[in-house]
Amino acid sequence: MKEKEIVARCVNPFVWIAGVRALLYGGTGLLVSVVLSWFTGFHYHGILHFGSAPNSAWWCYLAEHLIVWLVPTVLFYGGGLVASHSRFRAVDLFGTMLFAQIPLIGMNLIYALPPMKVLSCINPAMSPQEILNQPGLGLAVVLSLFGLPFLMAAVVWMFNALKVSCNLKGGRLWTVALIGIIGGDVVCRMFIRFFY
Amino acid sequence: MCEVKKRLPLHCPACEAPLKVGRLFCEQCDTEVCGDFELPLLARLSEKEQRFILDFVKSSGSLKDMAKNMGVSYPTVRNILDDLIEKLIQIGL
Repeated sequence: MKEKEIVARCVNPFVWIAGVRALLYGGTGLLVSVVLSWFTGFHYHGILHFGSAPNSAWWCYLAEHLIVWLVPTVLFYGGGLVASHSRFRAVDLFGTMLFAQIPLIGMNLIYALPPMKVLSCINPAMSPQEILNQPGLGLAVVLSLFGLPFLMAAVVWMFNALKVSCNLKGGRLWTVALIGIIGGDVVCRMFIRFFY
Repeated sequence: MCEVKKRLPLHCPACEAPLKVGRLFCEQCDTEVCGDFELPLLARLSEKEQRFILDFVKSSGSLKDMAKNMGVSYPTVRNILDDLIEKLIQIGL
């Protein structure tokens, strides 16, 4: 395979994979991610927000993952129905969007590292001074920055999942993508708040 | 000397306007027909688009089979088809 094609496949895998196959790979990724999150105490608060939370039940992690997948997908689906001139299959959008969550496993793995435990000790009731005095906080913050490329990859894949599954281009694509990702993040956080 | 495969030009190289047929001739008897003829609709598509339509017909219109043969996902093939339909509508299907 040529180098250019490998890069193209990494940036937009949905030109090659969609539908039930993407749903199966994505579903496996979701289960792996739920188990990892459960072990490490790494909660999904929204599409773009992660951290610790006061509920360590396994179902809470599963529910968070499902919400983070389903909310933007439903928003994209509605946006696609309105903005796309093509008829598209729900299984392609739901499958590719689930597949797009796979890079977040990278973030889970970073949060599984021992120095990251300090972040789970921080709660919103603590004063800024107390937070800064946590031992090993600097290293944890630096390590958490290594998780950003995985988050960016997931967002790029979500964008491309919408682009390929709904055949959207230009302004319509960007409008639906921004509503789905930013609006979806807000809606996810509203739903997930009920679990804490 | 190897034979050069010539492509049918669709647009004027000077002003980019769509080209029409002005002259046809019989290779056997050298008879010429002159006039002002529109290119057939499918001939106005690019070589890649014509290849796609041929593949579509050969696979009995099955986008799933086409996706398999092309090694791409189903929505990718469907998007190419939808964009082609849009283009055909624009050029006067």
